[in-house]
Amino acid sequence: MAQALLSNAPSDAALNRQLLSPLWSAGGRAWRWAFAITFAGTLLLLSLIGYTVWTGIGVWGNMIPVAWAFGIINFVWWIGIGHAGTFISAILYLFEQRWRASINRFAEAMTLFAVAQAALFPLLHLGRPWFGYWLFPYPSTMKIWPQVKSALPWDAAAISTYGLVSLLFWYVGLLPDLAATRDSASELWRRRAYGLFALGFRGSESGWRHYRQAYLLLAGLATPLVVSVHSIVSADFAIGLTPGWHSTLFPPYFVAGAIYSGFAMVLTLVIPLRALFRLQNVITPRHLENCAKLLLTTGLMVSYGYLIEYFLAWYSGDEYELFQYFRARPTGPGSSLWWLMLVGNVLVPQLFWVRRLRTNVAVLFVLSLVINIGMWCERFVIIVGSLQREFLVSSWADYRPSFVDLGILGGTFSFFALLFLLFVRFLPFVSASEVKELRHELEPEAP
Amino acid sequence: MPFDNGISRALNSPLGRRYYRSLLEQGETNPRAEPELSSEAGEPGPQLTRRDLTALLGASLALAGLTSCGQRPREKILPYVRAPDGVKPGVPVEYATTMTLGGLGTGLIGTVQDGRPIKLDGNPEHPASLGGSGIYEQAALLGLYDPARLTGPVHEGIPSDWHSAAEAIRGCGPRAWFVLPPQSSPLAARLIEQIRLRLPWSRFVHYQPLPRHAVYAAARGTFGRVLETHYRLANARVALALDADFTASMPGSLRMARELGQRRGRNTSGSESRLYVAEAMLSPTGSLADQHLSLQSSRVPQLARAVLQQLDQLGLRGKVRGAAPSASSSTDTRIEAFARAVAGDLARARGEAVVLVGERQPRETHVLAHAINQALGSFGRTLYFAETPLLAPEGGSSLEDLAAAIAASEVDALVILEENPVFSAPPSLRLEHLLPRVPLRIHLTDVENETSRLCQWRLPLSHFLESWGDARALDGTVSYAQPLIGARHESRSSLELLALFAGREEGALELLRALHQSDAQRSEAEWEQRLQAGFAAGSAFPPIDVTLDAEAVSSAVQAVSASTHDDGALEVNFTLGKVHDGRFVNNAWLLELPHPMTKQCWGNAAVLSPATATRLGVESGDVLEIAIQDRKLAVPALILPGHADGALSLDVGYGSAGDGLGHGVGVNAYVLRTGVAEHFSVGARVERTTMRVELALTQEHFRLHGRDYVKSTSLEEYRRAKRVAPEQRSPQRTLLPTVPAAGIQWAMSIDTDICSGCSACVVACQAENNVPVVGKRGVMQSREMHWLRIDRYFEGDVNAPRVVNQPMLCQHCEKAPCEYVCPVNATVHSPDGLNEMVYNRCIGTRFCSNNCPYKVRRFNWFDYSAEPSTPLLQKNPEVTVRERGVMEKCTFCVQRVRRAEQRALAEGRPSAATEVVTACQAACPTQAIQFGSLAAADGPIRRARADGRSYAALHELGTRPRVTYLAKVRNPNPELGE
Repeated sequence: MAQALLSNAPSDAALNRQLLSPLWSAGGRAWRWAFAITFAGTLLLLSLIGYTVWTGIGVWGNMIPVAWAFGIINFVWWIGIGHAGTFISAILYLFEQRWRASINRFAEAMTLFAVAQAALFPLLHLGRPWFGYWLFPYPSTMKIWPQVKSALPWDAAAISTYGLVSLLFWYVGLLPDLAATRDSASELWRRRAYGLFALGFRGSESGWRHYRQAYLLLAGLATPLVVSVHSIVSADFAIGLTPGWHSTLFPPYFVAGAIYSGFAMVLTLVIPLRALFRLQNVITPRHLENCAKLLLTTGLMVSYGYLIEYFLAWYSGDEYELFQYFRARPTGPGSSLWWLMLVGNVLVPQLFWVRRLRTNVAVLFVLSLVINIGMWCERFVIIVGSLQREFLVSSWADYRPSFVDLGILGGTFSFFALLFLLFVRFLPFVSASEVKELRHELEPEAP
Repeated sequence: MPFDNGISRALNSPLGRRYYRSLLEQGETNPRAEPELSSEAGEPGPQLTRRDLTALLGASLALAGLTSCGQRPREKILPYVRAPDGVKPGVPVEYATTMTLGGLGTGLIGTVQDGRPIKLDGNPEHPASLGGSGIYEQAALLGLYDPARLTGPVHEGIPSDWHSAAEAIRGCGPRAWFVLPPQSSPLAARLIEQIRLRLPWSRFVHYQPLPRHAVYAAARGTFGRVLETHYRLANARVALALDADFTASMPGSLRMARELGQRRGRNTSGSESRLYVAEAMLSPTGSLADQHLSLQSSRVPQLARAVLQQLDQLGLRGKVRGAAPSASSSTDTRIEAFARAVAGDLARARGEAVVLVGERQPRETHVLAHAINQALGSFGRTLYFAETPLLAPEGGSSLEDLAAAIAASEVDALVILEENPVFSAPPSLRLEHLLPRVPLRIHLTDVENETSRLCQWRLPLSHFLESWGDARALDGTVSYAQPLIGARHESRSSLELLALFAGREEGALELLRALHQSDAQRSEAEWEQRLQAGFAAGSAFPPIDVTLDAEAVSSAVQAVSASTHDDGALEVNFTLGKVHDGRFVNNAWLLELPHPMTKQCWGNAAVLSPATATRLGVESGDVLEIAIQDRKLAVPALILPGHADGALSLDVGYGSAGDGLGHGVGVNAYVLRTGVAEHFSVGARVERTTMRVELALTQEHFRLHGRDYVKSTSLEEYRRAKRVAPEQRSPQRTLLPTVPAAGIQWAMSIDTDICSGCSACVVACQAENNVPVVGKRGVMQSREMHWLRIDRYFEGDVNAPRVVNQPMLCQHCEKAPCEYVCPVNATVHSPDGLNEMVYNRCIGTRFCSNNCPYKVRRFNWFDYSAEPSTPLLQKNPEVTVRERGVMEKCTFCVQRVRRAEQRALAEGRPSAATEVVTACQAACPTQAIQFGSLAAADGPIRRARADGRSYAALHELGTRPRVTYLAKVRNPNPELGE
């Protein structure tokens, strides 16, 4: 048998104490420092957003022909990261993968926070963001509806659905733990607050039954979204004429990439977290190894996507496609990012064939970062790279980001981390109820 | 109480009069005399009743709304009580006027909207325009609204007035020197005569930074008198242009461009013609050439001599009458081969051949060309001679004379009109040191600049659209300038200042009328008719028969043969670019306009060929230090295929230290010149410095990489195939329903065979459509806003490339890729085939731009319309001024389309497609742009689409563009090969 999913097999009470303990401590020095830094970064993000909205989108590096750049890259990247959370909570739940129990909570939180970052960009990148609501089919007195042949209203629908379902799924999953927190909190205000959000969950049989039904239902709802959201995001490009975008391959290829990047982000987050909160017994090397195996799987799918993408370009015989894939990407402006993309998304996952590497926590952490970078580069190559070298040679121009672009990207890291820090401080980031359940399920297996 | 003072009390008093003219009258006492806060001083305040309170609340609410009514004009505005005749609000009125450049007039039509001139176009009746216009004519309008203009007379830095200036002028000493631009104005001639009577020692320097003296000197030497050469290209089957950019920058270019265009249009219909161009800097004319020779300007005389020699050997000697070129020749083989082929061709086309020479060339080249033209029997056929309209064609007194006179303290007063000689004169004259030694210095100028800073009097110059005036066109036609707007500032024109010196009290209009009436035969009705037309019909100079002085020809041949040429010596050309000689350096449109050939905006550069760049080890953007004798200049390099090897070309006029937008843009090439008459200089030393700068280029990639959305072919090939690109025009199968095409279906056709890339259309579009200016940084970030751009491509060998210009604008695709990706319906299709932008609806996702294969959509990254460089007064009220964050692009001048429809509707008739002329089409000097309805069976569009040269760019994408192109068909000389 593989490594244990729970080591030391503590008692329910001990597990409860261990998993809820971060909520009672006032946050260590490391947490405070991290909070201060990410808070500053978030302020930077907000001020740069204010600057952009006040002055105009021209403070970004976008131009003609590269009318979409960092804004859309960041959007796709963050949305992609969100996918692992839903994948772990919903799909692995439906497939009864027990190992998901100890990582699903924070993976879902990661999804929510990543979607929150991603949702900033479709609005921010607009020339007139104050009219962003025109993308939604609201009952306008002018009787003008969104133009539904465009992929952008699909996007608006897909992302808002995804955000909403993810939030509900996460919240419903939280209910037993909120109740447990309520019950074990010592201060009155905490009891009141957690009690309010626990929606009166008492752990009764009927409560559990309803809870399980609701959770299963939401898992069922969330599962197609894992596939649909990134498929629709990919349609933003696939419906275009631009060489490098115009491809029917994009939906599956984007979904694989999204899950790939999401698992990388799970590792990036979970490795420091389990060290910081001493959760090695709950989030065991087995979990990490499973993530690495999924990275290998999805990485191979992404590599296959690349292969087919280049094959299709070659097979089309179209001079613009051929130039885009075989000249502009490997040698054109920004080609270093193309090479970085290949390293991160094709070479790095191959390392996970080696068991020693995929069980080495330090290696996993570093490689997960490389994969995150590689996936960001992939979006850069697809979006900016394609636009830089289009049909008319006269319109070719090279893209350069502005300091606002870089600042906003850095700011979303901070904002994401800030939300995460608040989350681990105020909510049980490992699902105590599910881990306890897992303990009971594992008991018969124990010798 | 806040409301309590004398006024409010008086207003509330029941004893106050009901009606009052002023608050003082009503209050009867001066409210200021009341002690403030009187209620606090013990007096009982008025009772604020419920009624008053509600009234005040209501009023403040209503008035608060007023504060949000946007900016009011700062100036006091008065509504018309009775509108003046001819001014209907919202209805544009057109007036004829005349713009003068280099002393020569071009007839223009100015469009005035509610008292504001908003657009200039060529006057179709005027012989120097024929309806076409160039970049200067199009952009001159913006100068009227230049915020940097002087607003009133300034004396020693202190604001003064014209009265005091007139005093100073009356007290001016007898030895007054005038520096003024070349003049052809009959009124100026009269005034100068009168000044000479009043101030007998006055001297006149007709100054032009890059003068045309050689043209006149050559005529004087060859024919014994100063003459103007007029080319008749419509009659020319073979033309050789020697350093002559005759379709874009030479005087008379609008007319010549039209004739060349018409002539080339017959190329594929049996009546072929061929254009040879030899020049250093690739020009718009050079891009039209069937056979182009990149040749240093200093070697062009050798080419002329070689052609003459060849013609001589071909037995045309008798015609040259003894002017046998010496047999000894040291010309290089390239020139020799070219000359042999050209001469053979010219000789075969005797009587239908012409050689044109640019004013940049020295006297000898012109003399040789006269000899060649005579040998070819061109006189009276493809060219004729006539009197020159200029008063002092060779300049009169020179700046050197002026400098000497100042040095000898023989100048009492110096009056400089319009020009900026301290900036543009060769530094060896040391004008900046000499000028302060003149007791009275007066500068009439549009903006404060280098010269005016050294003058006691800075007098504001009227824009030509603000003043009355006259000028002769190149052919002598007397043309009139009417003001289209009252003077915006306390300014006067050059003619008015000359009148002051002449002691005339009247205004320019009275003087012009007096001049008109001085001929008793002319009636008042004729005066009005002339003003209406903009010129006096039939006032052109008649052709003059000439006899060639063989002596002059042989001495020119000898002079050219004797000149030695060092192969290693670098030549520097001083060229007239977008800002002309510097007079348009504050013009935002021209600064932003991509240079027709280099595509550089906002500055100049040392243009050099790829081979020369390799030799010098430089790349575009490297800063070079150019040294000629003891003068040095640091300037960035810019590599241009098609430029002559061993030469650099530098646009003059940049690097001004004067006020305005052009301040510090580019570098001043004038500082390298040794003499006023110098158009090029041989023997420059060039070194690469360690500095690099980024150039503002709108097109950085010139190679087609094997792509075939631009078509060109040779005439021979075309004759064989009858079609240029059959695969680029066939109907495409589609799954989508076809759009029913009823009524007028707008479409455009652009003939790339006669597009020289001169860019007049680009400026015309900018003026018509309120296209904003983004500045140098904006261009470097690839954010230029031009709705119409001219893409320029090179084919073949980089050292002798073939050039194709492809004007690129919204193609108004029938299956527009931009439309289906817009999430908010902001870009939609009209029933008459326009791809429309709904600015109000646009939220700025920019998806449409990403999906536009032609990349013609432009985005308002910032609030460009608030930029002071493109003032509100100039804006066309019929075109929306776009706000920040919305997409924009060519509309096919939808405002003109709709106006024509409304006019037709008002007149109760169906509108005709022929009524609409787009701004770009109106400007095009060669008439390369045709606009009309695709549905009209005998219309220009159907004709163009039936042409074998017709193709659609990126046809294979299935976008079905409504803009189609006619391929370029070159007619190279087979003897010269490729």
